[in-house]
Amino acid sequence: MGKVLMKGNEAIGEAAIRAGCLNYFAYPITPQSEVAEYLSRRMPEVGGMFLQGESEVAVAYMLFGASACGERVFTTSSSPGISLMSEGISYVAGAQCPVVFVNIIRGGPGLGGILPSQGDYFQATKGGGHGDYRLLVMAPASVQETVEMVMMAFPLAEKYRNPVMILGDGLIGQMMEPVEFPDHLRTEPTNKDDWATNGMDTRKDNKQNLVKSLYLDPTQLNDHNLLLKAKYERMKQEDVRYEPYNTDTDYKVLIISYGTMSRVCRTAIDNLKAEGLEVGMIRPQTLFPFPEKAIHDAAIKESCKAVISIEMSMGQMVEDVERCVQGKRPVEWYGKCGGDVPTPEEIMDVVRNWKLET
Amino acid sequence: MEIDLHGIVVIVGNYGSGKTEVSINLAVNQKRAGMDVRIADLDLVNPYFRTREARNPLSTLGIDMVLPPEKYMQADLPILTPAIAGMIRQPTEMTLLDVGGDDVGATVLASLAEPLRGKNIRMLQVVNPFRPFTDTVQGCLKIRDEIEKASKMTINGIIGNTNLIDETTMTDIYEGYDFVHALSEASGLPLEFVTITTELFPEADMKRFSCPVLPIERQLVPPWKKAANLGPALLKPAYNNI
Repeated sequence: MGKVLMKGNEAIGEAAIRAGCLNYFAYPITPQSEVAEYLSRRMPEVGGMFLQGESEVAVAYMLFGASACGERVFTTSSSPGISLMSEGISYVAGAQCPVVFVNIIRGGPGLGGILPSQGDYFQATKGGGHGDYRLLVMAPASVQETVEMVMMAFPLAEKYRNPVMILGDGLIGQMMEPVEFPDHLRTEPTNKDDWATNGMDTRKDNKQNLVKSLYLDPTQLNDHNLLLKAKYERMKQEDVRYEPYNTDTDYKVLIISYGTMSRVCRTAIDNLKAEGLEVGMIRPQTLFPFPEKAIHDAAIKESCKAVISIEMSMGQMVEDVERCVQGKRPVEWYGKCGGDVPTPEEIMDVVRNWKLET
Repeated sequence: MEIDLHGIVVIVGNYGSGKTEVSINLAVNQKRAGMDVRIADLDLVNPYFRTREARNPLSTLGIDMVLPPEKYMQADLPILTPAIAGMIRQPTEMTLLDVGGDDVGATVLASLAEPLRGKNIRMLQVVNPFRPFTDTVQGCLKIRDEIEKASKMTINGIIGNTNLIDETTMTDIYEGYDFVHALSEASGLPLEFVTITTELFPEADMKRFSCPVLPIERQLVPPWKKAANLGPALLKPAYNNI
């Protein structure tokens, strides 16, 4: 199959199908309703199902139930919808169900607005729901990368028996770019007989599976949490993803930026290079696990005078950047979150100001 | 070969076919050709990348725009300003209606049935064969049917808008032209014009096309790219000698 021109939201739907996910439960919300629109058309063509829940709360538990039965399942929503799902996400994480969540972020808090934002960084990476859980969070910067990450999300969710979240801002959902889809994957989860309540027919032994998040015994609950923690540590070892940009130069400033914001930063970096000022960038592709070592190592390069976290939020990721840099370089934040994406010119000014001060 | 359109021109098509980019560029092209042009943003279904995004360059060129009231400009509410009916009742030399995608977006036209009644209207379907659901002639005809049912109007022309945005090649353009040409034959609808970006335009072999070609100066771009500078109003179309 050649390239097609797709909106991010449509590409998310198609990528899920090609990853072998034929169950999509969702409730519409701007700016991601096109996923539901696309899949309401496409799912019947491939023998799959789109079921619109009566609310996001209901959707979260539909996902929980279907996943517990060993079905590959996913949803998409936008910020307030993810807030509603957050209780269910905690249950899904607690019960170790491999569900894929997509959040196409809009401006917040509250009803906020419908334009692009990255204001749900904390919610995604630090847990929107209760208890000690983590999501594996991936943040695409293009429609093509969105396709790749959605397709990667299902096997990763199954590898860890943990929910995975794709975190995109409104632009990821709404912009159109040429994309190419890899061949149909459709791999069945290999480990579901070990844990899913998928019936006894295919069971080799008589072991009955129970999917739950309730552990009244304190020792058992502690052990359960230790098991979850071990998974999150393993993610940090095995599934950190990031992309360096212009870091083979003697850059004066290091930008940390993700999602579509990083593409504005790229344009700014290219323009500044033409002016003779080198700026490097680390773009986290996974927000949890966060590329801690890569950011630390890039920050302490001798030429680097400052690190700036540029985000469409009021300073969320910058807290993780500060943690990585460990006070070895000044860490600054720049961002906007009303929906007006910072322009390359704004970013260039921010960086130039740093050069003047150092 | 010049684009021969005047009066009320309604731009419809499937979701993401490029209606807005085509509408904006058609407005600019006709304005440069000396026409009085007015354009209305009737997209009630799309939250981003709408005609209203290009309101500044268009008004600089002297193109009249009819938009939702300022305070509702960013709302995802289906607001149809009464000024639209007014502009249809008293059309200028070219009155362009940029309609939202699919049958859902075209439903708005049914609510304008009263002012549209009895008017001579060109309703044109924008087709990009690189979009899902319109990569076959059958798919395009299905969308045409759905839009006609929802709008209670008849499509009477086709616009070929073959593109993969920045990755479009001349080969794509020629193949896309052959596709819309075949669609024109299958549907009996005239091929009004096809589009080519100004970047690719110099490479194009004009003898390959039996219809006019509209140059596209891209206006709806993501924040890391610059929209093409439409410049001050010109008296002549940019490519009137081709």
